[in-house]
Amino acid sequence: MKGISIMKLSCTEAASVCNKAEYKEANLREKLRLRLHLFFCKTCKDYHQNNRKLTGLIKKADIKPCSAEQKEIFKQHMKNGSSKTSK
Amino acid sequence: MREANHPKMEENQLDPEKWVDRYSDYLFNYTIVRVNDREVANDIISETFLAGLNSMKNFKGEASERTWLISILKRKIIDHYRKSNSNKGQAELKMNFPDSENEGDWLEERVADLSDMTAEDQMENRELGLAILDCLDQLNEKQAKIFKMKTIDGLDTETICNEFNISPSNLWVIIHRARTSLAKCLEKNWF
Repeated sequence: MKGISIMKLSCTEAASVCNKAEYKEANLREKLRLRLHLFFCKTCKDYHQNNRKLTGLIKKADIKPCSAEQKEIFKQHMKNGSSKTSK
Repeated sequence: MREANHPKMEENQLDPEKWVDRYSDYLFNYTIVRVNDREVANDIISETFLAGLNSMKNFKGEASERTWLISILKRKIIDHYRKSNSNKGQAELKMNFPDSENEGDWLEERVADLSDMTAEDQMENRELGLAILDCLDQLNEKQAKIFKMKTIDGLDTETICNEFNISPSNLWVIIHRARTSLAKCLEKNWF
């Protein structure tokens, strides 16, 4: 079983590699196996394309996260009942 | 009354302890595009949380907690504009020019930059950002948090795994679920 499936990837594995690839965390071997899988599997190909698109949208949206420090300041202000940082 | 039909009645309650963690990102992205200044935005959000805290008794539970906070936020933003206008004694319209402070004031100097990204594109991207945060709110809290840390803050797998005490394969399962539901949620308007 293992002998024939060296290059084979199940759809679950393919999805996992596909996600890792979006964060540049898939290695070369994984990427090659994914390519091969996508060549035969339409479902995963669609998933892959959607996933690419999602990454593109997130990049485009340029969401600015509120920093953890800032959140602490907000909490402090709420506790003190004042929006001035006490010094 | 139709209250019995309301599927998520218990959701419309206030839980100020969790406001900061739950809504800061959304409120920040909502505000920053309207005031264009980090510090001002943070001040306004802080005031919003406080005002919310002080007017909890006015909350009727008809809207969601976040909608309610946004309605307060909107008023705070308007207040901010009123104040900054009265300081200058004249009406002021803030627009998002590419390099507002240092570049020359001449329109000609700005034309080249503007062609790069139209005002409509910018508007669309801001809405997209809020739509994404909106969809993330519909995930469970841990999922959303991990997804944000990985995707928006760009933290590496190991850091997140350590913080949540999960294995990398756990993390990827969570990321997978989050991405799938996010894509589904955005599908209607953005795909």
